[in-house]
Amino acid sequence: MKRPVGLLYSADQVPPPSIVLFSALQHMAAMAVTLVFPIIIAREAGLSAAQQTDVVSLSMLAIGVATILICLRSRFIGSGYLCPAGFTGIYLGPSLFALHLGGLSLVLGMTVVAGLMQFAIAPLLRRLRPLLPPEIAGLVIAIIGLSLAVLGVRYSLGVTESGAIQPAYCAVAGVSLTVMVVLNVWSTGFLKLFCVLIGIATGYAASMLLGLFEVASLAPPEGVGLLHLPDTGHLGWSFDLATLVPFGVAAIAATLRIMGDVSNAQRQDDAEWTRPEFGSITGAVAANGAASAFCGLVGSPGINSYSASVGLAGATGITSRSVGYTAGGIYAALAFVPVAGAALVSMPAPVIGAVLFFVSAFIFTSGMQMVTARMLDARKSTVIGFSFAMAVMADIYRDVFAAAPELLKPIFDNSLVLGTVCAVLLNLVMRIGVRRRVRLALAAQELEREAVERFLFENGARWAARRDVVSRAVFGVVQVLEVIGTPLGEVEIEASFDEFSLIVTVRYQGSPLLIPETRPTPREIVASEDGERRLAGYLLRRSADRLTSRAQGARAELVLFYEH
Amino acid sequence: MNGSSLDITEVHSGQTCVLALSGRIDSTNADQFTACVNRLFAAGEKDLVVDFKEVLYLTSAAFRVLLVATDEAERSAARFALCSVAGQVRELFEMGGLLDLFTVHASRDEALGHTP
Repeated sequence: MKRPVGLLYSADQVPPPSIVLFSALQHMAAMAVTLVFPIIIAREAGLSAAQQTDVVSLSMLAIGVATILICLRSRFIGSGYLCPAGFTGIYLGPSLFALHLGGLSLVLGMTVVAGLMQFAIAPLLRRLRPLLPPEIAGLVIAIIGLSLAVLGVRYSLGVTESGAIQPAYCAVAGVSLTVMVVLNVWSTGFLKLFCVLIGIATGYAASMLLGLFEVASLAPPEGVGLLHLPDTGHLGWSFDLATLVPFGVAAIAATLRIMGDVSNAQRQDDAEWTRPEFGSITGAVAANGAASAFCGLVGSPGINSYSASVGLAGATGITSRSVGYTAGGIYAALAFVPVAGAALVSMPAPVIGAVLFFVSAFIFTSGMQMVTARMLDARKSTVIGFSFAMAVMADIYRDVFAAAPELLKPIFDNSLVLGTVCAVLLNLVMRIGVRRRVRLALAAQELEREAVERFLFENGARWAARRDVVSRAVFGVVQVLEVIGTPLGEVEIEASFDEFSLIVTVRYQGSPLLIPETRPTPREIVASEDGERRLAGYLLRRSADRLTSRAQGARAELVLFYEH
Repeated sequence: MNGSSLDITEVHSGQTCVLALSGRIDSTNADQFTACVNRLFAAGEKDLVVDFKEVLYLTSAAFRVLLVATDEAERSAARFALCSVAGQVRELFEMGGLLDLFTVHASRDEALGHTP
């Protein structure tokens, strides 16, 4: 792991309190944009103004809890990286569908179900690793950047229903964006660190000057004090199988997105990053699932990692997860201060646009670097090119895709999801014929270890396989040869490789190897050959990522699987 | 890793005899190691350190002879320690949960510093 140039505070470092606080505020401002999704659901559900305030408050609690969960570093849950949460358009389509079918209670019930589905997907991710090779992760991140840029421009231009551009919006977005860029590129210290926060403040000031924002709008609704315990009277939960598929698709889309975001966060912390590390991705997906279930319980739609915040962390060089804990904690506390919710929710649209457009540049280039760092052969070029084009088309032909069946809307409604689904499916198709296979036959009387070593190391080098993985395979085969002794007939060794795994199969005449769950005691190992054989089986079990031992007629077969 | 059959080099440093191993240790050469250790204990050696710095990997047969050598050292009231157990070799010790069964020093210098 090598520290990237420009990284000021890594995920594991804790900056001084003032930097943590201002950095957290900066992220909170960026994340606040996403509170628009619960508001849309609340309005569509016909809730009163006071109930909408409660929805915003409870959503702030949810976004706070979700951010802490996703940033958490623990064995079972959390990514360990600064990866704040945000409500997402991915759940908007399924939520509106459920709302019209069964009301708000169905939205909330199915959001809990979607969260649980995502939680259940997490442990399977390691096996699904081939779905997200580094170039696909890079593509997903680039598309995230692109989609945020599109959204940012839309907010910045203030396009009206008649298609006209509002000059005041352009002016505010221009001023706000210019401040962010100038401070980020040509300043140092605090000005550079908090360029986005300062840009947002400038945007608020410009909006007030041009009449796009009034301080009076921050006043809480009638009857709501400065401190307010959100009312939960509007909450209820119901379930309907008809909505299971759209919510399932949304859960998978959210999973793909957080996989991309966490890969980006990993890359921002490691200049030698070569591939996604699945330990933290699994924890992040589990945390995202738990967070979405929590959202459903407190009356919010599903939640996801917030790509713009990950980009913001990269742009400022502060990727400390303590910033995430602080932002999450403050958000959860502000759930009980309605005026804070109003201040965040009332952020003028062109200011939102400027933030999104600014961070999109860093996300897009980060993704492109991940893509171009790989050797792109015809297969990969097809996957990357086609999928990128599909993502762009989702935005260009938004009206056409809007006519897609309700079931497919979570895919066609969103450039990120369409591009990612396309990339994952094409990648699966393009893997056909990619696995390479070689065989070695050894005469029973001449089970030369050197021949095995030569065979595996030479082919491993040809395939550009990692040496440590090949070394483990060499140990595995030599250990097998040692246990089977001198069998009748020849011993066949087959090695097959693709980018994600090395599989070595040993076939011989005799009975299958004993692969014990527990290690024999030192006394048993010393006392008998059987003890040594059981130790051999135990070492094989521990050294391979997976193995199977079975009889095939008079012959036996041992398959050793190594992740690559 | 070509030509990785076992080479054993004996080096005496004060009262300590260091056996520097090189290559792989498996059933084809485990007896060679056992014979060497037995010969040294029979000759009255009381302080034996096995240096794994140049060992590429070892199999269950090697672990067995190391355990046998540990027993033999106990009977001879001698010290039997391992040093420079690193990389893939250390991983194998750890995978088998066997590291704690031996006295292991980080380096040859450290092992020599622990002379009884």
